Amino acid sequence: MSSAMVSVQLNGTSTGTPAAATPFLTDAMKLINSVKTFIFDCDGVIWKGDKLIDGVPETLDMLHAMGKRLVFVTNNSTKSRKQYAKKFDSLGLTVAEEEIFPSSFAAAAYLKSVNFPSNKKVYVVGEGGIQLELTQAGISHIGGPEDGDKKIELAPGQIMDHDHHVGAVVVGFDRFFNYYKLQYATLCLRENPGCLFIATNCDAITYLTYAQEWAGGGAMVGALKATTNKEPVVVGKPSTFLMDYLASEFQISKSEICMVGDRLDTDILFGQNGSCRTLLVLSGVTSLDALQSPENSLQPDAYINQLSDLLSAKKSASA
Amino acid sequence: MQTGGLCMQRVRITLQPVVISAAKPFTATACQSDNLVSQRRFFRCGGLSSLQIRPLASVAEAPLRRHRSMSTVRASVEENGTPVSPFLTDAAKLIDSAKTFIFDCDGVIWKGDKLIDGVPETLDMLRSMGKKLVFVTNNSTKSRKQYGKKFESLGLDVTEEEIFASSFAAAAYLKSINFPSDKKVYVVGETGIQLELKQAGISYIGGPEDGDKKIDLAPGHFMEHDQDVGAVVVGFDRNINYYKLQYATLCVRENPGCLFIATNCDAVTHLTDAQEWAGGGAMVGAIKGSTKKEPLVVGKPSTFMMDYLASEFQISKSEICMVGDRLDTDILFGQNGGCKTLLVLSGVTTLETLQSPDNSIQPDAYTNQISDLLSAKKVASA
Repeated sequence: MSSAMVSVQLNGTSTGTPAAATPFLTDAMKLINSVKTFIFDCDGVIWKGDKLIDGVPETLDMLHAMGKRLVFVTNNSTKSRKQYAKKFDSLGLTVAEEEIFPSSFAAAAYLKSVNFPSNKKVYVVGEGGIQLELTQAGISHIGGPEDGDKKIELAPGQIMDHDHHVGAVVVGFDRFFNYYKLQYATLCLRENPGCLFIATNCDAITYLTYAQEWAGGGAMVGALKATTNKEPVVVGKPSTFLMDYLASEFQISKSEICMVGDRLDTDILFGQNGSCRTLLVLSGVTSLDALQSPENSLQPDAYINQLSDLLSAKKSASA
Repeated sequence: MQTGGLCMQRVRITLQPVVISAAKPFTATACQSDNLVSQRRFFRCGGLSSLQIRPLASVAEAPLRRHRSMSTVRASVEENGTPVSPFLTDAAKLIDSAKTFIFDCDGVIWKGDKLIDGVPETLDMLRSMGKKLVFVTNNSTKSRKQYGKKFESLGLDVTEEEIFASSFAAAAYLKSINFPSDKKVYVVGETGIQLELKQAGISYIGGPEDGDKKIDLAPGHFMEHDQDVGAVVVGFDRNINYYKLQYATLCVRENPGCLFIATNCDAVTHLTDAQEWAGGGAMVGAIKGSTKKEPLVVGKPSTFMMDYLASEFQISKSEICMVGDRLDTDILFGQNGGCKTLLVLSGVTTLETLQSPDNSIQPDAYTNQISDLLSAKKVASA
């Protein structure tokens, strides 16, 4: 766990003393009754790679039937909301585009919220999801996967030109990351006055395939932090931007939200930063060992093995 | 905290919390980490020195607060403001006070592939005055041998043994800790590092050859990695790509005890004389981002190379003058080593930057370029 995350946690708690161990959730019904909205992370909660985690459809159906609002927030910026809706659909889940908030969408929403000038462009160090969301928001952009094949030339006197109309660099996971993009983004941030540095997320690793951990968006962001000596504005978890956005969008009170996720330093911290209830699932990246380790100070309100454990509420209701 | 007469780069940086109020959106400000020097004076991340030193337009007052509380930065940080480094007027006096001159290369001796004028005469003068000359560069793209050739091609008489590139430093460091012969290094960098490792008898994989490799993200796909990699060495890499990032990440995260070594953390570098180019700090920053680990930095401002050459040549650090163009690598390197420091303005640092209130690294003196030292010769013959 990065120490920066610990600092935020300590900020949130009043005493800074070691938090009590997280209990296993025994009374699902009580938790469900105490909230009106559930926010779910996706990777490790709903699916793992391209495989649906079992019991998820029934659980979501149950919560719908109980009148709960369901929202999905993911740091994965490779797809747009629309593309995620298709993924849900392909897995047999009925989720509307408007219920999905990937960090690609967050970047575009943030730029709109600061009235990003229409004569400015965004340079994208990231994938198609970010580009689609920017297009959707009416924001011009250059860069993206197409720059993945560009090489740099270092002949004497060589200068790399860059567009002076770039008013923001948006950085997210980029499997086509290369020196050309790194240098282009660096020039924009260092030389275009007021150029914003926006990170969709800073996740160190991510389950691109469910077989293994893969270097995440935090790598691309880390590279640009180093060349510019600047800190990005982070729009994904654990930043509360998306929490504030959807609370305002849906007119919901944060104290009536339960955040469900598999990562302590993004999902759970996101929930805690937003003063929501937090529920950790062990079906993703975090093991019980990691949760209970003395080095971990991020304690959710409760934990369960996987989402379908909530179905026990249904059983207790009909008992 | 200071140790003997040495000025340690011991920086305690307070974390800035994430702002969570609804009135203002989030700001992940200054997300720093501790930069404590280890017992052996290898820096966890020298790159953070650049964070605290360069004027940071986008971060509010935090850097200034940190500077004022940094009692370890030599004499130059005071409550009433930082005494400004003077222009060097008495070159003869400076030259007399030092037995050895350490020169940075980029921005001091050459810029890209162009020799800065007056350099040959200046080096000749210093040699004729009995001074030892040493060249220390953070540029890891070439080996010592290759740098020797570069000096030669520019008409300068410098031997391989007088050159200390960060590529050499990485290999020297691994030797100094008896890196096991059954282990390998994964290289995220260029041929300079590979050549130095080979010279030191250390096995390695990776390097430029991995620059063309793509990753396959089909469902269930798994990237294998060599479990015998005992260290990842990261330096400037114009062929950086996701394959290398992921390979290095797997080694550092999964091979027990795998070292994470950075040749340097320079944010930008003059790869061509026309412009600043993203430097080795980017590659190091990427792997810090994916592993959440701090590297051991062997290049400036870490004192590894200073200790190495002082021991190699049996020279006393107080009799060394470090000449460089960068405040947060060259000058800090000299200050950390307890040496005299001379900044030249022929490279990346302008007079404005030196004199900016945001800068707290003050060399003992500054001059426009090293040929200004020739005034000592004129004085002598006057």
